[in-house]
Amino acid sequence: MAEFYGTTVADIFNTMPKRFKPEEAKEEDIAIGYECKGEGKWKVTIKHGTIKVEEVKGDLKGCATTIHAADAETFIGTTLGKIQAMDALTTGKLRVVGDVKLLMTLLPKIFVQYTVPEKKSSVVAKDIISTITERFRPDKAAGVDMKVGYDLAGEGGGKWTIVIKDGKCAVKEGLAKDLTVKMTMPAEIYVGMMLGTISGESAFTSGQVKLDGDMMAAGATSRFFNKFVDPNAQASEAEELITIKVTNSINCRFATGTAYGMWFKGLKEKKFLANVCPKCGRTQITPREICAFCRVRCNEFAELGPKGTITAADVVYFASPDPLTGAVRETPYAMCWILLDNASPQEAFCFDIKREDLPKMKVGARVRPVWAKETKGTFTDLLYFELDK
Amino acid sequence: MKKQSEKPAKAHKKNRNVAIVGIGMTSLSSHKEDQNQPEMIHEAVRAALADAKMTLDDIDCVVHGNMELFEMQYQPDMWHVLGSGAYGKDEYRITTGGTVGATMVCAADNLVASGLYDTVLAIGFEKLQEGNTTGGITNMADPLWFRNIQTGALTGTTAAMMIDEFGAERAKKAAMKYRILMDKHAMLNERAHRRFGLEYDQAEDLMKTSPQLVGELRLIHMCSQSDGACAMIFTHEKRAKKVCKKPVWIRDHITVHREENMSNLYAFEKPEMTHHYAARKLFERNGIKDPVKYFDVFEMYDPSAWWGLDWSREFLQLKGDEHLRLLEDGEFDLDGKLPLNPSGGVIASNPIGATAMLRPAFAALQIRGDAGGCQIKKPVKHALASGFGGTLWTVLMMLEKDLDW
Repeated sequence: MAEFYGTTVADIFNTMPKRFKPEEAKEEDIAIGYECKGEGKWKVTIKHGTIKVEEVKGDLKGCATTIHAADAETFIGTTLGKIQAMDALTTGKLRVVGDVKLLMTLLPKIFVQYTVPEKKSSVVAKDIISTITERFRPDKAAGVDMKVGYDLAGEGGGKWTIVIKDGKCAVKEGLAKDLTVKMTMPAEIYVGMMLGTISGESAFTSGQVKLDGDMMAAGATSRFFNKFVDPNAQASEAEELITIKVTNSINCRFATGTAYGMWFKGLKEKKFLANVCPKCGRTQITPREICAFCRVRCNEFAELGPKGTITAADVVYFASPDPLTGAVRETPYAMCWILLDNASPQEAFCFDIKREDLPKMKVGARVRPVWAKETKGTFTDLLYFELDK
Repeated sequence: MKKQSEKPAKAHKKNRNVAIVGIGMTSLSSHKEDQNQPEMIHEAVRAALADAKMTLDDIDCVVHGNMELFEMQYQPDMWHVLGSGAYGKDEYRITTGGTVGATMVCAADNLVASGLYDTVLAIGFEKLQEGNTTGGITNMADPLWFRNIQTGALTGTTAAMMIDEFGAERAKKAAMKYRILMDKHAMLNERAHRRFGLEYDQAEDLMKTSPQLVGELRLIHMCSQSDGACAMIFTHEKRAKKVCKKPVWIRDHITVHREENMSNLYAFEKPEMTHHYAARKLFERNGIKDPVKYFDVFEMYDPSAWWGLDWSREFLQLKGDEHLRLLEDGEFDLDGKLPLNPSGGVIASNPIGATAMLRPAFAALQIRGDAGGCQIKKPVKHALASGFGGTLWTVLMMLEKDLDW
């Protein structure tokens, strides 16, 4: 099993049940297949808050959506966010057969993000104590004369005295009688403090470290030594890059104006009202105050449609957010350009088409509007267009 | 159908010539979490100043711009004042959507040409990872009507129209060839963000299996979302000749808007496209009869392979399938008749507020011979660069190596 970014494909699947959030998946009933070239195949069945992860030997059967990675690096990299999923999808290194949207919507919702388990350091207190003399910095300890005792209980622990005098440092087994300060703590706490995984201040405050003698001397010791570096540790990321998360939600109100306002008044009455250029005769929908070509005001209104003809059609598969709600839209859906009856030939009008009519929709097809039960003079008055059979 | 104004456009009356004398950019990448916005801008500004061998004392005015909605950060110029170097100087903020980078170059040119300022620094930037691009674009649509149906910058209509005009096989092949050519160029440009290493023999497979976004617009065709900043320094002829060994001259530029409403783009009868109109007027007033022959490089704002290919016909005033033939015959390659986007274009790198500035920036680097791995081998004297935004707005500009037009 190939290892990338400190983990394997199997690790990701083995931790899936632990990362699963049953309460988020109560409504779900889906089987997702995974294939990672060179690594194997897995089937993940999610049903009403339960999860089953199984390795599959033959073909992936009974999966609504299957996800295929070209290699282990792609699969692990995209799972950890080290490789941009969008880039992997773009180059075809990651492929989804079925519902691509799952990657962006369902999976982040029902699983806790996978992270590489931290490798436990095998360093013990004795190892750290044994490096003290080589980490000593005589330049920082000029004129210092002290004996620091460590009483470290537990595995890898022991009792030591560090003698600092005349710019020299020595480590002796056992505790001297005339210690400047004695520090008593579990050996693992000492290791954690030296590796920087435990804060010395909070270990002291919480009583895990006991000091006996000159407290100031204890605090000063760290600057006499170079920092201990764990020789077994993997090169880890240097520092966390802190980002601030903000969600802006703003309520807006937009004035429609005199020309555009007529359009919404029309919608309320289930009518399409265009204004007409007195010079070139162009019907404008939605109505604009002037005709841009002739630079004259267009004060006359005419009713168009209600039926029309499709001039162009876009079937949208990409799950873009609904600007009215911010929620991910159901896909596929269609945006159609419709030339309403009696409109001038350059003025098409863009709107949704009924989902069920998608397979039969084509340029030149006739369509009719479907209105909301209650119309209020807003863009939700018009639900969609449907094929006019 | 009635066209937009038929009157010949007036050439810009320039009080004095203006040159690009400094270009700086950050790396263009998907994430820049190691820098905040002012720091990122600072990096580009430092690079531009170093390139121009100038200090902030030489800058009289700063022009600053991006797409506010994308990061939801109002008045970023105030936050950025230390990074931009605008502290204690005149500063103008410009935000015109996708075109903003190009508009800033036009503005800087006008500010210097007019004599109001001697040396102007323009900065375009974006950190797309800090906000939501598609959400931003969707909310930029007409708030009264179109917003409930908008899909961000994605549209499959051009693909459908090209398939209709040239047949599915040829159109799809051409779009993939365009896409892979852009990647090949990006592979040569060490500054580009997305460099996949695509090969032409992958075209067949990718055009079938790449996820569909809208109609035949697939993920592989679409531009990237990048973080990055670009800064450029402009000064007048007298100073440019004194301080700069390789000034690049701004010859002329044109900005064309269409109606705010997209409605009349996709009916049976179509208006003259803004790109076509802009190029027609610009070439007319500068006496350019054959743009493919005249220009040595074209850095085009190409948000997708379909748009890039279709728009090449509009900008270059080509007819029928001339643009497809130029592509198929390798004439848009680095050693072709008119190398198109040697930088890899917007498909490879797209920090939107900087994107339209990167077009003239990369074109100017080509003229200077400083484009690095993607440098065109034959001499580059005349360059064309475009910007695009909103409901098909266009900025088009001409750059020259010599002051001889």
